Amino acid sequence: MNEQRRQVLEMLAESKITADEAERLIYALEADQPEPSTGVADRSKSRPKYLRVVVIDNSAGEEPSRVNVRIPLQLLRAGVRLASLIPPQAVTKINEKLDESGVPFDLTELKPQQLEELIDQLGDLTVDVDEPDSKVQVFCE
Amino acid sequence: MIPQLVTVRYRRSDGRSLRLPVPVLPVLLLLSPLLLLAALAGLVACLVFEVSAAGALRGAGQLLLALPGTRIEIDDGRTAVLVTVR
Repeated sequence: MNEQRRQVLEMLAESKITADEAERLIYALEADQPEPSTGVADRSKSRPKYLRVVVIDNSAGEEPSRVNVRIPLQLLRAGVRLASLIPPQAVTKINEKLDESGVPFDLTELKPQQLEELIDQLGDLTVDVDEPDSKVQVFCE
Repeated sequence: MIPQLVTVRYRRSDGRSLRLPVPVLPVLLLLSPLLLLAALAGLVACLVFEVSAAGALRGAGQLLLALPGTRIEIDDGRTAVLVTVR
């Protein structure tokens, strides 16, 4: 309980102000106070728009190689929607090939809504690989 | 909105760089006959593979509308390529 609110309640207890006036004062005090900002609250307010991939490779030669890709998340969503148009017979063939390669992944189980939810949660994703010769960063901004 | 300008910047190993801004709409107008043929071929492919043509068109449209803001930069120290879509 902060000091100002305590003072208002003390004034009410001493009958210096009425209950209505106390209520209005407390409401005004709460409206004046800034909301505490946490990292999570700030991030949720501004939804990320882009997926960034940054790769810096110092292993070959004097000059480092650098790859910097920025893709709008809307592009990923559009790609997911396009992928949902793949005909069933193609999906079956892809599943067979994946199975032959030893990847036990069933594309028919993958729903566009799940991929959309995955893309929505990408905002919290940060991948940071830091090696002596190279650096990879994947994040959303 | 649809992409308005695609900029390609290429830096050669001798340090010289080449910048090529490509206005999308005029280029699309110029290539419209080819695009029409491609659209017809796409429609036939949709019919052959039993894919919804309307869905494919909608998906392609959404893909196009999502392109602005894309930036791809590859730099290996001596040469560099930068493609931006605005």
